[in-house]
Amino acid sequence: MSPGLQLVFEAWPYLLAFVVGVLIPRRQGLYERIAVGVVAALSVLLVMGLWPSKEVVVDAPKPKEWPNLLNVIVFLPIFGSVSILFLPRQSPKLLRRFTLLVLGLDFLASLWLLGVPMTAGWHFQYIREWLPSFGIRYHVAVDGVSTWLILLSTFTTPIAAYVSFGSIKARTKDLCFSLLLLHGAMLGAFVSLDLFLFYVFWELMLVPMIILIGIWGGVEKIKAAYKFFLYTMAGSVLMLAAILYMVWTHKELAGFVTFDYLALKNLVLPKTAAMLCFGAFLLAFIIKVPMFPLHTWLPDAHVQAPTGGSIILAAVLLKLGTYGYIRFCMGMFAGPAWSAAANLAGLAVGGGVLYGALVAWKQDDVKRLVAYSSVAHMGFVMLGLFAATRAGVEGALLQMVNHGISTGALFLLVGVIYDRRHTREVREFGGLAKVMPIYAAVFVLVTMSSIGVPGTNGFVGEFMVIMGTFVSLPLGSHGQLQAVLATTGVILAAVYMLSLVQKMFFGPLSNPKNANLPDLNVRETLALAPLIALIFVLGFFPNVFLDRARDSVATVIEGYQEGRKAYMGMEPGAAAKLRPRKGGNLETGYPEPPKPGGDAAKKDPAPTAQLDPARPAGGAP
Amino acid sequence: MTFWFGLSPILVVGLGTLLLMLAEAFGKSPNSANPSDAGSGRSGELALGAAVVLLVGAAFSIGVWMVGPENLEGLEATRPYLVMDRFTVFFCFVLSLGGAFAALLAGGYLPEHDIDRSEFFPLLLLSTVGAMTLVAAGDMLSLFVALETMSLGVYCMVGLRRSPRAAEAALKYFLLGSFAAALLLFGAVLLYGATAHTDLVGIGQAIKTIGQPGSTVPVAPVLLGLTLTLVGLTFKISAVPFHMWTPDAYEGAPTPATSFMAVAVKAAAFAILLRVLVVAFGDDRLTSWGTGWPPALATLALLSMTVANVVAGRQSSVKRMLAYSSIAHAGYALVGVVATMRSADGQASVLFYLLTYTVSTVGAFGALIYCGSRGAEATSYEDLAGIAKRHPAAALAFSLFLLSLAGLPPTAGFFGKLYVFRAAFDAELYVLAVVGLLNSLVGAYYYLRVMVFMYMREPAPGAQPAVPMKSAFVSSALVLAAVLVFALGIAPGWSLDMAGAAKIVVSAK
Repeated sequence: MSPGLQLVFEAWPYLLAFVVGVLIPRRQGLYERIAVGVVAALSVLLVMGLWPSKEVVVDAPKPKEWPNLLNVIVFLPIFGSVSILFLPRQSPKLLRRFTLLVLGLDFLASLWLLGVPMTAGWHFQYIREWLPSFGIRYHVAVDGVSTWLILLSTFTTPIAAYVSFGSIKARTKDLCFSLLLLHGAMLGAFVSLDLFLFYVFWELMLVPMIILIGIWGGVEKIKAAYKFFLYTMAGSVLMLAAILYMVWTHKELAGFVTFDYLALKNLVLPKTAAMLCFGAFLLAFIIKVPMFPLHTWLPDAHVQAPTGGSIILAAVLLKLGTYGYIRFCMGMFAGPAWSAAANLAGLAVGGGVLYGALVAWKQDDVKRLVAYSSVAHMGFVMLGLFAATRAGVEGALLQMVNHGISTGALFLLVGVIYDRRHTREVREFGGLAKVMPIYAAVFVLVTMSSIGVPGTNGFVGEFMVIMGTFVSLPLGSHGQLQAVLATTGVILAAVYMLSLVQKMFFGPLSNPKNANLPDLNVRETLALAPLIALIFVLGFFPNVFLDRARDSVATVIEGYQEGRKAYMGMEPGAAAKLRPRKGGNLETGYPEPPKPGGDAAKKDPAPTAQLDPARPAGGAP
Repeated sequence: MTFWFGLSPILVVGLGTLLLMLAEAFGKSPNSANPSDAGSGRSGELALGAAVVLLVGAAFSIGVWMVGPENLEGLEATRPYLVMDRFTVFFCFVLSLGGAFAALLAGGYLPEHDIDRSEFFPLLLLSTVGAMTLVAAGDMLSLFVALETMSLGVYCMVGLRRSPRAAEAALKYFLLGSFAAALLLFGAVLLYGATAHTDLVGIGQAIKTIGQPGSTVPVAPVLLGLTLTLVGLTFKISAVPFHMWTPDAYEGAPTPATSFMAVAVKAAAFAILLRVLVVAFGDDRLTSWGTGWPPALATLALLSMTVANVVAGRQSSVKRMLAYSSIAHAGYALVGVVATMRSADGQASVLFYLLTYTVSTVGAFGALIYCGSRGAEATSYEDLAGIAKRHPAAALAFSLFLLSLAGLPPTAGFFGKLYVFRAAFDAELYVLAVVGLLNSLVGAYYYLRVMVFMYMREPAPGAQPAVPMKSAFVSSALVLAAVLVFALGIAPGWSLDMAGAAKIVVSAK
């Protein structure tokens, strides 16, 4: 058989999807047709490639991990943003195409992450010395947790960019620059395992986001930009203080300076210091999430940001807070996190899930409503993390991705109506389903996903979070009450979203200005299609997702419990100490002390060998 | 021969000053017909000359650093009046760099704003020589002479414009500066009276004998002398509450002179402060928290950071805001100075901080200069409104330097702050470090405000928007500064090692 024919045989589902996709749109140009076809083919590829039935191939040789993959994923957009500076601002078309090309390539590169089985431990690890005298290394790696967040951001940012290019025509160069830089910085923050590197990327996100809000935002854009900047910066400077304190303590104990997460993770601080450091990290993360009572920047930022900015903000930027909590708070401060979990979970339920939903209900501005619904959804995610059971954390992780997809889609839909009417007041609309049937249908569908109707992605995530909360150990007896209250939050979500849908789309077409609104155009459909596809993929086949996260989540929880044990073992007033290294694939790339202190380097592997077999196998509580 | 080579960083600049003065005196001026304006119109060539002299000085500093001043024979002959160690050479490099930047900026600024007075450049060079000798001074006498040499030139540069405003600034600076110098001298006299030494090493050793049997050194004059010396020196670094002259002098001076004051004068003052504290007052009892200078300096640091940042946020002039920000940065660097009491990294952190601060501040003032042109100097926030649209490169450069001043990665300023605060953590000065970090948040607000005006505001209707100037001098200074800001931000390894190697080690036990 000729290779060409063989290719046709092997790739027939994708080709079929492509052909169907090309044929479906009516009255469109070739490019749009091809684009729809590619989206269709990629959706099929995604579902087939991720199908969990492939577990048979356990004995198959381990797929090779190209160590530079993460560098490519992170630095492609960053170099792209630098090259944007050298492209002429007079040709916006070139700038837009270049940006989309870079983002598209980045997405394709990130698909490789799905090609390896996500066993526990670090994958695609890459380590280089950066500033040896400071103990700073360029250390990047992914595990099952960060993989999904990377994919989420490489998936949503092109959509956000594509949408922005439809509605924003002014200052394209600045837009392309900030989109690419923001993208690269976010990805960098997800993969960094060196606290210094993490901090660098964390701060690097600030400036492009301010530019996005402050230049293309609404009336109050500058106030919103300041608010966003000051809130985020306030959190991060205290985090830097905590990092420096931990690095210094580690140096006193181990004799060498390092900012590496793997090393600092083994640090057991005295109780007060641990609480303070945990507080500093927590503050930085819950400002980003955001959690009540530090959420007030979010509605402003969302309402003022352009649609593309809102999508990135909701879909990816907020996830940095929750990701930071999983990785750093649960990883490094298990003890304080455990003891504060019940109270914090109360805050997440009361301030996030319930209060956020109630406030959302009262909003007149559609975008503000969606922004407050974000607060409620992120409350769910945090609740799952505080519960720290397997179901809870997996659900929270899934809910992060869900929120990215459904809220991203909602913001996109709000942007669609805003582009047509330049208002977002709910009372301006009514009966839109008569003039914009496709828009209305899509909106209802995304609403279902946001509420968590079974069959959509939202259901699985919320169900798992609530289930995890109910049996959670750290939450103790409060867990059951909190689970019940969180369930009420689901009902409230239905109340505010459905009443919004009712007011906007049904009833009489009261406002004559709405009589001639055009329905979704190709650009908007194209941007929405992959999101909608994912709503169902994750709704019906959540295992596609959960399979890859399972091992890493188990590791996180195991580390959480061990860390808590070590913390509880500290006498009051005891000095800080280092836990012995466990070795194994969780600590590959552990920083070695610098060469001159050769003795210490030789001594270190010994405890590794002793303690390795003692490592407990299971992780579930 | 090695002796002369060892002194070359200072000598080259001194010799260059004399040559430049001759060139200025005997060169032909295009405006020589008008006797009241003799010597004007030649800023370009003189600026180039001054910059070349200073850059050659910087090159010699690098050369001496490579060879290592400790390997050069005969250099001890100048001690204690001039101490050529790695510390001095490091600062010679920083000062020459800062001076060269100021010369380049002046080459564009002076002709553009019609204050084309060529005496500026010899004054600039003389001040730089003064600053270098100040850094090298190991004796209270040479310290005072060098301090005055440095200051006199700056007093003249501040008043260069001859407007009432500039005259007020110069007079204020001169009066307060003389007062501070007098206090310093008074302190030196007391120390001499108590210890019978004018050289710092001798003072240090005499202080060590206090409390030992047979010691004749009285305690009270030493403490009073220490206090007065510190007041004199913290005046020069403009730490709160000795900062009152700073905003007025910085605002009234021509901007290149302002950048020289903010960079070179401050760096030299910090250097000599470190030297005095480490060499003369390095006694264990004086560096302890209970009985020595650290709490006093820590208070100054806290005040400088907090007061300056709060006031800077309320300014309507960008130049004045930068003046207050330089006070705040003095506060951050003082945190590092306080940290020298316990942390081995303290000195190195101050040195590195000053290097990063130099390149970012020079860049910020340069960008401010670049944004204005004849008759429309950009000083207020409104002047900068919407400049990103009209001149994106200027706005981008300005933003870069502001981000570096704010301490955001991946710029030089971030590493400077990180190093200082890390040293503070090493020295267990947690409160100081946390307050400093919170202050950098406040600082970020007003730096961001400039960017907001540049990128997100439109000029008020009817207002005259500032038009960026065209000057190869200014743009080359900006490019050089931008490269350094990035280089120090992304690969600071070599400069960190240099700062670490440059610290003063007191050999006496």
